[in-house]
Amino acid sequence: MNPKIKVVLEQAKSKIEQARVIKDLEQTYVEIFGRDGLVTNLTKQIKDIDPKDRASFGQSVNSAKKEIVEYFAKKRSSLVISRSSTSIDITAPGKKTQLGHLHLVSQAIEEIVDIFKKLGYSLQSYPEIDWDWYAFESLNMPKNHPARDDWETFFIKGDTNPKYGNLVLTPHTSNGQLREMERAKNPPIRMINIARCYRRQIDVSHTPMFHQFEGLFVDKNVSITDLKGTFDFFTSHFFGPKRVTRLRPHHFRFTEPSFEVDVTCGICMGKGCRLCKAGWLELGGSGMVHPKVLKAGGIDPAKYNGFAFGWGIERTIAMKTELPDIRLLFQNDIRFLEQF
Amino acid sequence: MNIQIPVSWLRDYLKTDVAAKTVANYLTASGPSVERIEKHGEDFIFDVEITTNRPDAFSVYGLAREANAILATNGQKSQLVPPKGLNTKLDPDKSHSLPLDVQVKDKSLCQRFAAIVIDNVQIKPSPAIIKNRLETCGIRAINNIVDISNYIMLELGQPMHTFDYDKIRGAKMTLRESQARESIRTLDGQNRKLPKGTIVIEDSERLIDLCGIMGGENSGVSTRTKRVVLFVQSYDPIRIRKTTQALAFRTDASARFEKGIDLEGIIPALSRAVYLAKQTAGAKVVSELIDIYQKAEKPKPIILNISKLNSYIGVEIPEEKAGKTLEFLGFKVSSTSQTITATPPTWRFQDMEIEEDLIEEIARIYGYHNLPSTLPKGEVPKTEESILANVIELKNALKYLGLTEIISYSIISKEFLKLTQLEEKDAVELQNPLSTDWQFMRNTLVPSLTNVVAQNQNLKSNIKLFEVAKTYLRVTNDIPTQDVHIAFALQNSNFLEIKGLVENLFEILKREPKFQKAGGKNPLSENSQFATIKIGDKIVGGLGILKREVADYFDIAGDTFVAEINLSTVYNLQSTVHTYHPMPKFPPVIEDMSVIFDEKTPVAEIVSEAKKIGSPLVKNVEIIDIFRNGKIGKGKKSITLRLSYQKSDSTPEQEEVTRYREIIAREISRIFQAQVRK
Repeated sequence: MNPKIKVVLEQAKSKIEQARVIKDLEQTYVEIFGRDGLVTNLTKQIKDIDPKDRASFGQSVNSAKKEIVEYFAKKRSSLVISRSSTSIDITAPGKKTQLGHLHLVSQAIEEIVDIFKKLGYSLQSYPEIDWDWYAFESLNMPKNHPARDDWETFFIKGDTNPKYGNLVLTPHTSNGQLREMERAKNPPIRMINIARCYRRQIDVSHTPMFHQFEGLFVDKNVSITDLKGTFDFFTSHFFGPKRVTRLRPHHFRFTEPSFEVDVTCGICMGKGCRLCKAGWLELGGSGMVHPKVLKAGGIDPAKYNGFAFGWGIERTIAMKTELPDIRLLFQNDIRFLEQF
Repeated sequence: MNIQIPVSWLRDYLKTDVAAKTVANYLTASGPSVERIEKHGEDFIFDVEITTNRPDAFSVYGLAREANAILATNGQKSQLVPPKGLNTKLDPDKSHSLPLDVQVKDKSLCQRFAAIVIDNVQIKPSPAIIKNRLETCGIRAINNIVDISNYIMLELGQPMHTFDYDKIRGAKMTLRESQARESIRTLDGQNRKLPKGTIVIEDSERLIDLCGIMGGENSGVSTRTKRVVLFVQSYDPIRIRKTTQALAFRTDASARFEKGIDLEGIIPALSRAVYLAKQTAGAKVVSELIDIYQKAEKPKPIILNISKLNSYIGVEIPEEKAGKTLEFLGFKVSSTSQTITATPPTWRFQDMEIEEDLIEEIARIYGYHNLPSTLPKGEVPKTEESILANVIELKNALKYLGLTEIISYSIISKEFLKLTQLEEKDAVELQNPLSTDWQFMRNTLVPSLTNVVAQNQNLKSNIKLFEVAKTYLRVTNDIPTQDVHIAFALQNSNFLEIKGLVENLFEILKREPKFQKAGGKNPLSENSQFATIKIGDKIVGGLGILKREVADYFDIAGDTFVAEINLSTVYNLQSTVHTYHPMPKFPPVIEDMSVIFDEKTPVAEIVSEAKKIGSPLVKNVEIIDIFRNGKIGKGKKSITLRLSYQKSDSTPEQEEVTRYREIIAREISRIFQAQVRK
């Protein structure tokens, strides 16, 4: 080995050897490999060597360099290991950043939206205070329908529109169906609308304000089997793969046929228990969009059809978390909020 | 609405060997849902939910008819046997008949009015089977005549009433709308003040019936009754509902009248009543049948296209099977290879209008559980999502920043509204609030958040809350503005903490906010510690300390800081796009400079001036310390600026740095009348 190289090798090794802590070692690294470092300067000399010896000199430099790097690494790991030897009580609590909490309703909304996104639905936002026409009339609910009584629905003081009627606090999200049809003009439509809704009632299972979720699907040749498949997809994602749905005949003004959608009870898994109706829990309502509703939304029912579905978010939460009183959700007791 | 049906009674009309539980399963899958089955001695009782469009199934016989159609279509042996006496002759049994003068003032009140008088009635308890059935269904048995009316209501779904003929003064019944301030004492002994427009019957002197709801006490059947008017009607459902609501008084009868009655079922029900009265009370018919009938429109045939049926249901249903299903349900059916023409039975006339109605009948009886599940094919629409999709992400980010989300009612009280200083005429006000606590739609979230801080203030000392919700502001002749707001409330906090939070928020939102000291009216914050938030020239919100009066209103101790930002506005503004800047090849020279300023000098201005003066060599100016003490003087503050001098092509030379430092020190001292510390 060229004596020059040998000197550098020795010097480097001794420098490394002297390092007591990682920081020293880092300084040493600069002294060896830095801009003006030992090895760097050696490399610079290669070009000045007689061409016939240059190759072997270069090789020697490289092998020296390799040796130093290995030596360095060894030293480094020995320093790391020896850094701290006091025994730690690993059961003591870690230092963590305090996280906050999302409201249960938001958590449910996020899950639902994620699932329907996979099926190509997009989240839209429609008025929570809307004209009577959007909330009732266009949804095939006649003037004398009980929901249109001021017994059940909140009305707004003041303005009436000659075409659209009074302003109402929407008692459901279905006004979004009409708004979406008007916006989209031409199917296909795959929409989700989630909003605060209002009804004039309060008890263990009702609050005057609640959240509803609405889905609308309009296209050509849509069938009941499509609606079934959509609900199966949702249920297995939201409640888990063991839960199944069923459709029961029901009645809503804005769908024909109409269905109640049930999901197998998560407690008894469909066997029947005190929390469910013979093994089933009601999830929500659905149905094939009534031709009159499509027509009101400016869509030709001879060409297109579709389905719609909706349910109360709080209900699904109560089903998932065994909440005994829905009013707890809006009392905003911090001890409640921080549970989730 | 739910109805309790003893299975043994159902089996009087539904002749089948199928087990009760199986019948229930068939019904739930294809018709009205049997929600519970209860064992009752040897018998079972079905608790059945009947939807409002199916009043025809709200009776034992109606449900039997429905069950029979389902069972028969699905290949089960089953037969429907009607109750006895539906076709009983209603001719008088005596030659000289008793008079009863009936007048219906307004035909819209009552589409069909049928009555007949019976004599020779022996009042006694009903036979055990009738008594037991009534009691199983929750109706107290009274005597054989009164029980007939309740029995028929449960059996056929047709409510009826019985009067003591001898108590009807003048043998006269006038059916009319009530006037203002009329009242009647009903059979339950209650005096009821009637709202105007209630359907009532009066005899020659007084009101004797609160129609469709409950009879009058003055004309009821008693143990001494000999002659009885059997009375079967249909009433205008809307008027009945209005009255029951106004009186907050509903009965089994009114529930049925509200849903509508099969007009063609009225005479069979009366016949059945006569049959039972003859059987159980030895009665004889002593009047002509009174039948005042406003004939309803005849049910129209509906034409169903077979290909539409199949496309809608998603499987092929043989045309013959479809037709049979409708026939079992009582439709008159004729069909070709392409279409089915079906005329609904009279008991379904309200409910059957269009092709889709027939599709529902065929599909449900076929069984939704027999249909496969498919996911819709077709194109996914290219639709832009609303800002609510972004809000979901935003909420998550805030949670990780340590904030807790609340959801509070959007309806607020007059007092809350007053705190916001929004004038009532600009607020959205409910016409029919539940209580004064919920009267206005809020235009700001801050009072509600503050309220939640107050509620929880003894549980924690550093509550950090946020809420995202629509707010509502009145617009003349249009729907209210409904912008999405986000608001924060920090308990025991300070201005810089909430400002930092808002700055974090805008980093997440990828917009650059500017904070401006605002004068003017701030209903919820003290002006001294309040800033408006701007993006470009647009005001998007504000932040500051909660106003003393508001804190006092909620009884909050300590300093609460609040912020509210209009997300609808923010999301509509262009977001900042980050483009690539090459990483600096040469390290900066970093120096600190401490300067004493007047207390009032805004830090943001100092930083921006220093940057301006130091350009281009000074790449960054940070504030690393602010302090005040007696040494530097009253009304003064010392600020340490950290200056980074940096070049892209080399490390700055010391002379260059010195030169810039001196210029900055000189200019800052001059502009702000400040004093650079040595």
